[in-house]
Amino acid sequence: MDLTGLPLTTPADPNAVAVCLRAASAAGERVLVVGGATQLDRADPAPIDRLLSTRALNRVVAYEPAEMIAVVEAGCTIRDLRLLLAPHGQEWPVDAPDEATVGGVIATGAAVPRQLGVGPVRDSVLEVDCITGDGRALHTGGRTVKNVSGYGLPRLLVGSLGTLAVIVQAAVKLRPAPRARRTVTAAGGLLVAEGWLRSVPLATAILVHDNMAELRLEGWPDDVRAQTARARASAPDAAVSDQLAFPALTPWTRHPIVAEVSVAPSQLGRVLAAAGPDAGGLIGIGAGWIGFDDLQALRRVRQQVEALGGVLPVTHGPGGLGGRPPAPAIHRRIKAAFDPAGILAPGRFWAGM
Amino acid sequence: MSVAAALRQLQASLGAAAVAADPLTRGLYARDASIIEGSCALVALPATAEEVRACVTIAARQGLSVVPRGSGTGLAGGATPLGDALVVVTTRMTRILAIRPEDRCAWVEPGVLNQDLADAVRPLGLTFAPDPSSQQASTIGGNVATNAGGPHCLRHGVTSGHVLALDLVCSDGATVRLGGLGPLAAGYDLRGVVVGSEGTLGIVTAICVRLTPLAPVVRTCLLAFPDPLAAARCVAACIAQGLVAAAMECLDRASVRAVEQYVHAGYPEDAGAVLLVELEGLADGVEAELRELRTIADAHGAVSMRVAGDEEERARLWKGRKHALGAMARYAPHYYLHDCVVPRTRLPELLAAVYEIAARHRLLAVNMFHAGDGNLHPLFVFDRAEEGVLERVLAASREILERCVAAGGVVSGEHGIGLEKRDFLPLLFSAADLGQQACVRQAFDPDRRMNPHKVLPSGARCGDFAMAQGGGDLAATVSMLPEGTWV
Repeated sequence: MDLTGLPLTTPADPNAVAVCLRAASAAGERVLVVGGATQLDRADPAPIDRLLSTRALNRVVAYEPAEMIAVVEAGCTIRDLRLLLAPHGQEWPVDAPDEATVGGVIATGAAVPRQLGVGPVRDSVLEVDCITGDGRALHTGGRTVKNVSGYGLPRLLVGSLGTLAVIVQAAVKLRPAPRARRTVTAAGGLLVAEGWLRSVPLATAILVHDNMAELRLEGWPDDVRAQTARARASAPDAAVSDQLAFPALTPWTRHPIVAEVSVAPSQLGRVLAAAGPDAGGLIGIGAGWIGFDDLQALRRVRQQVEALGGVLPVTHGPGGLGGRPPAPAIHRRIKAAFDPAGILAPGRFWAGM
Repeated sequence: MSVAAALRQLQASLGAAAVAADPLTRGLYARDASIIEGSCALVALPATAEEVRACVTIAARQGLSVVPRGSGTGLAGGATPLGDALVVVTTRMTRILAIRPEDRCAWVEPGVLNQDLADAVRPLGLTFAPDPSSQQASTIGGNVATNAGGPHCLRHGVTSGHVLALDLVCSDGATVRLGGLGPLAAGYDLRGVVVGSEGTLGIVTAICVRLTPLAPVVRTCLLAFPDPLAAARCVAACIAQGLVAAAMECLDRASVRAVEQYVHAGYPEDAGAVLLVELEGLADGVEAELRELRTIADAHGAVSMRVAGDEEERARLWKGRKHALGAMARYAPHYYLHDCVVPRTRLPELLAAVYEIAARHRLLAVNMFHAGDGNLHPLFVFDRAEEGVLERVLAASREILERCVAAGGVVSGEHGIGLEKRDFLPLLFSAADLGQQACVRQAFDPDRRMNPHKVLPSGARCGDFAMAQGGGDLAATVSMLPEGTWV
């Protein structure tokens, strides 16, 4: 989505965010909050009057490695967080691009390539501080790994796409970085990949695309060697690399439109078969990415995915989110409670909310 | 409001045997496992989702509030009804609707017992990871309501991470399916808000739970320490060094003694504290972690470390932990079990504070807790017949919660807020924060009919804060939103 030329505000602290949003609410000015700007196409198209960048909110608020929790401001980039955590052997396992921001990753709530092993973004967000559309500072959640003190509002903000509040700070749960990482690749596609899900215990991720399967292994070096042997039992010609990123190949990015699929894991094979060669799917998770050349092809597959109870939002290019949220009245009331003037990215949420 | 009319309509919808208004039944359902006594007008035991809808609809028509309830094992009063409530009990809804190993999930009704689900999926090499100590008695619906934890949540996370989707009967009787089997769903994560909402947003009539593959290798170790603070320091050191076990449970001397005499779990009775540590994963990694654990334990004064030799010994060690609460009857007829979470580096300090506070209030504090999560469960044992003891218990409890919050902790890790702790929420949240939580609640239940008086302090109102700038009430604001963008 082209957002060039729009007025840009880059608040230096949460209070300045509140000032900006109060003014926007009073003036009816439609505001889009932007972090690393890596996911701006993940929205239904709708006009915006002003951009609010979180990039100046980039402080590390608290990081005590022994707690395995990091508290950072929303504009902290994934690269900066990684550099902070790496010396202590820890990671926030969300697999987002380096230039993405912590706030953006939370607001997006995208599928995580390694989700089979590390879980979704929503399970690692412990505390969120945010500014509502009408400029109120809100504190949600808490800085402990377990917490049922009040409603789980941090979960409500994960995937809210900047339509409820501007996230200014978050506490995220970390995990020890694995001591060994390995990618095993083999020809054979879905058959090999589904076999690995059954035969390789505790795989971190299994990706299938076209006729290839990629297995991600992480953990103790001896365990990774034993898992590799299991994987090779069903794919003797598999190649092994301890250097490759995961995913190693992303053929879907060659296309002008990229969408993220989410269906029941057992339905993923059917969707991929219908999507063509430049699609990748995470076995056991029911997520994947599909490259499309035009909107017609997107709509055809989206219709099929939605018939299976899934969703297929576009992440790059035109096409919007598709999908219809359940309980529209509850959605409307929640939106009104956070953003009474309706200035936070109106029309960009699911079903054009 | 008409209780008599509601009774007639419920009997017509559910059958006379599934509805009760007699004093004995009403008394039975007037409390849960907390120390709070309540009251109710009617008790209904629906057998199907359709009957739950009938209960909610009839209650709405007759102006009754609705209190959802599973087995009533909750410790915070979340299922304790107040006033002329209709208690809707889910314990007849015990069907496992579908087990789908290919999707690593199962659809269950809310009354299915946690242990029954785990037993049903074990032959498939799968488990439902949340394992609260009440798991033989507590229901999946109740686990969802409190976002229940349990020892193995250290590795696998709390219930929220194990609920993929659910069907919610809203206060107007409409049913919505929230969440989905894939990682994304359209809209806000309403599923995530319903988990842990203690029956205040609606009644869950079906739950799609995530099933977790059983780990290929599991090792359970029993470590003995001279005192609980040494054990707590060992736990903090393990976390600090990146040794995240599947479970790390601590029992102090008083718990060990009671447990040993009750279930003979094989805990060393002379120990000042024991740590029950479970490691799971693949063979080599588990062995490496065992070596690391031994090194850290030695450095923190462990006097012994024993690894369970077989499944039978492992089960016995766990039986001790899971039955620890029942063993408390040895000390006194009543207990008050607490639930608070602190940053794990502060665990030794807070544990010391618990003993100090208890001593000052002349109370016996027993500690058995999820040490790896920083989740303390101080337990006061007492005899209610003793004059003034309840006041001392409550005063000491308040002090403990305040100390936990001052250390950066929270007031509940897995039991919930219910009635017991709602007035402690202002320790954690501003009036504006609580007002916002009230708004979210009201978005689900505009008439405030579902489990009223629970979770939020009575002062927390949607509208006081949220709409201050807008000048209107929530309903007015909602009506201003363009309807057509949605339907």
